[in-house]
Amino acid sequence: MIEVDAISKRFKDVIAVDGVSFTAPDGRITGLLGENGAGKSTTLRTIATVLRADSGTVRIDGVDVRAEPERARRRLGVLPHSHGLYGRLTGRENIRYFGELNGLADAELDARIDTLVRTLDIGGFIDRRTEGFSHGQKMKIALARALIHDPRNVVLDEPTNGLDVMATRALRDVIRALRAEGRCVLFSSHVMQEVAALCDDIVVIHNGRPAAQGSPDDLRAETGESDLEEAFVKIIARAEGH
Amino acid sequence: MNLHAVATVFRKETRDNARDRRTLFRVFLFGPLLGPIIFAGMMNAVISMNLGSATKALDLPVAGAQYAPNLIAFLRSHHANIKPAPDDPAAAVKAGMADVVLKIPASYPKDFVAGRPAEVEVVLDAASQSGAAPVRRVKALLNAYSSQLASLRLLARGVNPSATHPLAIVDQDVSTPTARGAMLMGMVPYFCLFATLMGGFYLAIDTTAGERERGSLEPLLGTAASRPSLMLGKLCATAFYSVCALAIAVAAFGVAIPTVPAAELGMQLNFGAYEAMWIFAVCVPFVFLGAAGLTVIAAFSRSFKEAQAWMSVALIVPVLPLIFVAVHPVHSQWWMMLIPSLSQDLLIMTVMKGNPIDGGFFALSIVSTLVVAGVLAAYAMRLYRRERLLV
Repeated sequence: MIEVDAISKRFKDVIAVDGVSFTAPDGRITGLLGENGAGKSTTLRTIATVLRADSGTVRIDGVDVRAEPERARRRLGVLPHSHGLYGRLTGRENIRYFGELNGLADAELDARIDTLVRTLDIGGFIDRRTEGFSHGQKMKIALARALIHDPRNVVLDEPTNGLDVMATRALRDVIRALRAEGRCVLFSSHVMQEVAALCDDIVVIHNGRPAAQGSPDDLRAETGESDLEEAFVKIIARAEGH
Repeated sequence: MNLHAVATVFRKETRDNARDRRTLFRVFLFGPLLGPIIFAGMMNAVISMNLGSATKALDLPVAGAQYAPNLIAFLRSHHANIKPAPDDPAAAVKAGMADVVLKIPASYPKDFVAGRPAEVEVVLDAASQSGAAPVRRVKALLNAYSSQLASLRLLARGVNPSATHPLAIVDQDVSTPTARGAMLMGMVPYFCLFATLMGGFYLAIDTTAGERERGSLEPLLGTAASRPSLMLGKLCATAFYSVCALAIAVAAFGVAIPTVPAAELGMQLNFGAYEAMWIFAVCVPFVFLGAAGLTVIAAFSRSFKEAQAWMSVALIVPVLPLIFVAVHPVHSQWWMMLIPSLSQDLLIMTVMKGNPIDGGFFALSIVSTLVVAGVLAAYAMRLYRRERLLV
């Protein structure tokens, strides 16, 4: 479970995140929805402890990320915006590196990789150097790397960006499988269909501030729109006027 | 701090960079071999040029040889190979066709017989490198002939020729051939330090600024490993490449230096396994200083390019004390051991001169270098903890 409580973050004169709160429970997919520059990545980076919030707290399974960042990170699998694989290493070496850094022992690590090879279907290219990989292959290796330590909480920053239809569908299946395993999945997107197709809960952020949150049905009911995209537009317009 | 994470990062970085041929070439060939190759090549060229001209017959074009048959006979007896002069001696020397031409004017016999100084003209090009040695030889021969004749003339007048030498100047050189040889090897310390820094250069950039630019730093910082552990692993990998480059450089000097025929100049180049080991030992603390310094630069630079620019400047820093020593030759004093790179330079020169190393000096050099390395490493750690490391 990821609990975000009133976090704010500013970079010099720009307030990137201003009082965002939400809870992403286990066994559900929570979507962070907003336009480009709304503060989604900053929120996710703060959860991942890469950035430090100016105020507010983030708890991963009850562990305060500020007080115990390393313990919090062990419970968290993060797929950041940039996949950043090491091109001269094979897919397996990339995954192993992160497994070892997360404190996995050899036997455990091999077993985990075998599992991920099956669930992510990466057996065909895992032992090649990643420099020649397609975007979809890179994403899968990066996802395997994020999941190597079997984290209860998974954070994905715009994971479908740049993926083709088949890769996107495959990723959706993986995200649903993660939910089925009882994990907490939090992902950000600016693509409405993406969010509509996957999310149990939606958090809408606009200009760094929370604009609305609830299930897709809640949002439709709240705005009186039957189409989620129309609902989103209404929420944004409302936030602008406010 | 987690030693397992440090070791993991170290293994990954050394392996990852070992697969980059460009890095390997720069680290293990260009950096360490540049110095020894330049040294051996230059020394061999200079020495063979000097030696060659001293033992070889001197080709000497002479204009007006018929006016001074005795002088010509003297020159011939001193290994001068007398040749007809070109039509325009000055133009020939200027064009580099001849190194030196001797012109004997028609007035020579008349002046000579009359006992007046008889003019002979040496046509030379003072700006020519290859001409310097032949010109020196010609002038020395002319001087020798002149003083020989002077003595004969004095004897003919019943004067003891030694009257013209009120002083007898005798050199007593206290230097040993080894110490004279060490002078030639003055650039060895710099090249050893240069190789050390070059060894870590690319790794330091690749593991910090490069990692940020590729976008792999953010996921890395998201692992359970602490930032100090990551930094230390990267620093150790940088130091490992540095120490390999240093070992290669020292070994290459060990191969290159004996090829220089210094003995023929009355010098001995003192560089065997014993000296090589001392030089390696003296430079090892500098490896950590270099690795920490390069990591600091890489951590505060925003991009690969910026890091590269700063590090090129950093490569010059260790030369500054060496330039100071070259301008103000000094005897080693204890406080100089407190300055990294200067202390290494002085200790290496001591070893190469064949003198024993003062244990206290050596200890002081190690401690002072490691203290500076520690301060830089602590600063690198602080930079790693900053949020700005990522953005």
